[in-house]
Amino acid sequence: MSIMDKINNLDRRIIYLLAWIFVLFPLIFPLGLPIPISSDARSWYNFVENNVHDGDTVIFSLMYGTSGMPELFPMSVATMKHILQKDVKFVVLGFWTEGPLVFNALLRQVNPADYGKVYGVDWINLGYIPGGETAMGALATSFQNSVAVDFVEGRPLSDFPIMDNIRTATDIDLIISFETGTPGAPEWLRQWNTAYGVHIIVGCIGVSVPGMIPYINSGQISALMPGLTVSAEYELLLNKPGLAVAGVDAVSTSHLLIVLLVVIGNLAFFMTKEEKK
Amino acid sequence: MTIIATLLQVIPYYFDIPVLSNVASTATNAVLLIVACATFVGVISVLMVHAKRVQRRTEGWYFSGLIIVFVVIMVLTGLPLQEFGLGSKNSIFNWIFTNIQTPLGGTMYSILAFFITSAAVRAFKARNIEAAIVLVSGTLMVMGNAPIFTNTVPVLVDISLWIRNIPNMATMRGVMIGAALGAVALAVRTLMGIERGYLRGGGED
Amino acid sequence: MVDLIAAWTAVFFTLGIYSILYRENPWYRIAESVYLGVAVGYGVSVDLLYIRNQWSGQWSASTGMILLFAIVMIVGLMWYGRFTKSTFYLYRWPLAIVVGTGIGLALRTVIDAQFLQQIVAQVKTPFFVAGNMGATINNILIQIMVPSVLLYFWFTGTIRESAPMKVVEKIARYTMMAGFGSAYGYTVLTRYSLFIGRSQFLLGIPPNDPENQLAFIAIAFIMLVSMIGWDLTHKKAPEV
Repeated sequence: MSIMDKINNLDRRIIYLLAWIFVLFPLIFPLGLPIPISSDARSWYNFVENNVHDGDTVIFSLMYGTSGMPELFPMSVATMKHILQKDVKFVVLGFWTEGPLVFNALLRQVNPADYGKVYGVDWINLGYIPGGETAMGALATSFQNSVAVDFVEGRPLSDFPIMDNIRTATDIDLIISFETGTPGAPEWLRQWNTAYGVHIIVGCIGVSVPGMIPYINSGQISALMPGLTVSAEYELLLNKPGLAVAGVDAVSTSHLLIVLLVVIGNLAFFMTKEEKK
Repeated sequence: MTIIATLLQVIPYYFDIPVLSNVASTATNAVLLIVACATFVGVISVLMVHAKRVQRRTEGWYFSGLIIVFVVIMVLTGLPLQEFGLGSKNSIFNWIFTNIQTPLGGTMYSILAFFITSAAVRAFKARNIEAAIVLVSGTLMVMGNAPIFTNTVPVLVDISLWIRNIPNMATMRGVMIGAALGAVALAVRTLMGIERGYLRGGGED
Repeated sequence: MVDLIAAWTAVFFTLGIYSILYRENPWYRIAESVYLGVAVGYGVSVDLLYIRNQWSGQWSASTGMILLFAIVMIVGLMWYGRFTKSTFYLYRWPLAIVVGTGIGLALRTVIDAQFLQQIVAQVKTPFFVAGNMGATINNILIQIMVPSVLLYFWFTGTIRESAPMKVVEKIARYTMMAGFGSAYGYTVLTRYSLFIGRSQFLLGIPPNDPENQLAFIAIAFIMLVSMIGWDLTHKKAPEV
């Protein structure tokens, strides 16, 4: 069996082992590769910096569960830190069952109280609302009818000063949505952007990025954070390197492995084809 | 009933009829409750399947037993009875979520990274022109997402952005428009009562 | 001590899932079974909490709303008619209401959000951008590619047999292949990002618990030794 045949028939566990090595090595021994800042990171940073004004009301929506945490959690933390630097009111809610618990994990990283934000006055957590797109539509027409009590204290919304001026979608200036699938951006666009003109920025996993591009092109989504690498760039722009920056070296080496394997696999394919001819 | 529910949402959106808007709003909130009520459907289905396996002692029945045990624990500790110390703040519920659900959920989908790696060498071959285009654009995108490449060859960023914003955008826009037309057609067929596939089951047509 | 058990439990289940990479084995089956059980049970908690909280809101505000709530709950209970043939017809009622409402909410804005807005954006793309040859070429390509992709999915009539359509098909196919390549690139990023996140957890890189690292080494060693040892003692080639 020629070496190319051996490559074509390589035991996949060797490939898995290579994947482990290429990922674990830079995590144990950081390479410190420079991270160039992309236009995506700058767009997101500039939007939050220049288009989120003091006094705005923002929805901060974690539309993902534990499966999406590795890729979306770093950008959620970084964006939360950015938003907390501004004098905005924000409402935390989600339409994924694990969203509230993911937010609890975020609170262990970023405490709004450290930025002088008071719960119930500057921010509120409305928790999970079942029903997917139907829930998004219901929430847009009436917050108070869709959500009876807040998630943290279990008290009626009327007890919290922040909700005095938040009744419908027209009271919201921006939606920041981090998502892995459905419900997600298309549902936000249908129920909030098209119906009420609310601006939306979306942080999503890489798999969802190709589907978001037409919305970016048409201006329906104002900014996009596409995956872990851009999260790292955003953390650098904020001068708050975190989990994303810590993982980018491993992104580099893992992608290097993929490219090498594709090249080797195709070389083996073509050389085997030549031999057979 | 489907037609009524649909029209109840569509008509108030285009016509300003306050009474109808209020009814639609209440109906939407009622639907959220109806959806939440379905929560035990999954639990009962899982319990039925796996209880049968335990009862019949089929191969791997002890794993089914494990499933049943954890379903029961999570359901019981998660019941919204804060007065009895149960619910989302229950320590057992939270411990299981934090130390079992969270790692398992994150790990399940990350396994695909290995399968993609294996596919890269075994399946991702330029057998014809179309495959070659996928291969080249895919490889360029992979390189454009990794600082190790973009630092050495900065033009890769522009190339990957071009692939994303031109051919990918064209593809997705075309698919999106087609899918929107398809969705409208399906909705109209459902409203006309032609499409009733979602109501099938139970041994009847 | 509790933290120690928590760390080792989390690492055990993580490695249990990864053990499938070697071959199908009991560690994986345990982790998979537990995941299924916990995931199914978790959803119940949040849904029931929502129902309970909603009761304390508008639904208990007046007699009429209380009556309506009772009716909604009865409709909600009809879901469970699906488990027996004789009551399966009941299951169709809440399904019809939910599907109808969902269709209505989506239908009223899908035409604008995913159809008109995209067409407007396409039409607004200028063929010629003064002083920018790159943008001009890109815009011309978009104006060729998007209609080609749309026409590729046109199956009505005999127009597909015509010579111009063959050219359109080719352009559309090549466009879509490049688009799928883009999707592949991002899929690699996502899957590896998830794996990197789990690896950071296993290595105990902050903010993860440093205790995880010892647990990782110990549990990985035990699992590998048990699987390889089993294969060697049973003289069976490991399943690939």
